[in-house]
Amino acid sequence: METNAQPVVAVIDDEEMVVTSIRTYLQLETDYRICGFTDPEEAVKHLETHPVDVVITDIMMPKLNGVQLLACAKRFQPEATRILLTGHADKQNAIQAINEVGVYQYLEKPWENAQLLLVINSAIERTQLFRQLRGKIAELDAAHGNIKDIQARLIRAFL
Amino acid sequence: MAPDELSNTEQLRRELELARASLAEARKMASLGQLLTAVVHEINTPIGSLVSNNEVARRSLEALKRVLAGSPEAAGIVDTMAGLAAIDKIACERLVAVVHSVRGFSSAARGDRGSAQVNDLIDNALKLAAWIYGKRITVEKDYGGPPAIECYPQPLGQAFLNLLVNAGQAIDGQGTVTVRTRAEGGYIHIAISDTGPGIRPEDRPKIFTSGFSTKPLAGRLGASGAGAGGPSGEGTGLGLAITRDIIVELHGGAIDFESQPGAGATFHVRIPTEQGRKHGD
Repeated sequence: METNAQPVVAVIDDEEMVVTSIRTYLQLETDYRICGFTDPEEAVKHLETHPVDVVITDIMMPKLNGVQLLACAKRFQPEATRILLTGHADKQNAIQAINEVGVYQYLEKPWENAQLLLVINSAIERTQLFRQLRGKIAELDAAHGNIKDIQARLIRAFL
Repeated sequence: MAPDELSNTEQLRRELELARASLAEARKMASLGQLLTAVVHEINTPIGSLVSNNEVARRSLEALKRVLAGSPEAAGIVDTMAGLAAIDKIACERLVAVVHSVRGFSSAARGDRGSAQVNDLIDNALKLAAWIYGKRITVEKDYGGPPAIECYPQPLGQAFLNLLVNAGQAIDGQGTVTVRTRAEGGYIHIAISDTGPGIRPEDRPKIFTSGFSTKPLAGRLGASGAGAGGPSGEGTGLGLAITRDIIVELHGGAIDFESQPGAGATFHVRIPTEQGRKHGD
């Protein structure tokens, strides 16, 4: 999956008001591209083919809960940073989410815009660092392959 | 039946009645806790949107005012809208504060042990007690900046709420509830005073007894009125018994009171700053 020059944030909540509020705030405050979904299954379909930097989701949703959705996100885009935003201050859900899908942050509603933005910015930075790291590892692998190739040729030349 | 046996039977019957009342109260509180949790969950989402939208609206109005700088009439309309948005911001902040306060008290379980500031727990309890106090009761705070303590924050907050509600309900008409906190050795000393009529001498030995209340069904529950009620036992006489249990049994602390007829009452709570230590160690 290709990466984005412009950071992309996916916001999923079955309440339209939450998606609209967060989208409007982020559009005012940042140049990020916001993909909003009120249907978690639609969100999963989108995540399968479109790269995102951050996934923010509610927990309690019909069809698919937030932890299940983040498990799909992790499968399709492991480097995308996962955040839970929930009105249900349920420690059990949080523990499950952290253990099963590696949630980066767990935020409670009502959220504070400034805090949300801080978390999203850190999440984007984290995702980009992961991608850079993956790129560097690929470069190192390629360089290592070249060195081994040269070594093999040298050995052949001297034998 | 011999008089002694009769007395024992009567005593057992009373204890059974109290146990039944305690159980009914515990069930009621558990249901109430679940209900509150559900209500808080339901209103968190719209409040989150309101707070977020309000910030966007205020900033958009500021931008609009700059754009409309050449038109005094339009700028005046924007000023009016900005004024209303500023009021909405205050309203939103109050809603958020209420949600945070209620969330702290909505769990029926004792929750996890952790570090908490006593002053913060009292402030949260005061926000809820303020609903009962209205404009009738003035609150005076004298906080001594005690250190954070290791405790069970949820039940401890409930204990403070019980004492604060009792203090407020002890006062007929206008009055003052005073809260004082101090660090004393390895303990935090919290004193909650009211300007009510004081506790009658004959009621004092029974004040922490489960089921004791000066007005058993729905009467005055104040400290000065020797009631034992509040949010955890209004009318059943369980509030102060539960409070004592939280302070003494759960936290190894101590609770007592002093009262002069006509001069109000003061409840003294002492909580060890580190758990595992008992009051008097």
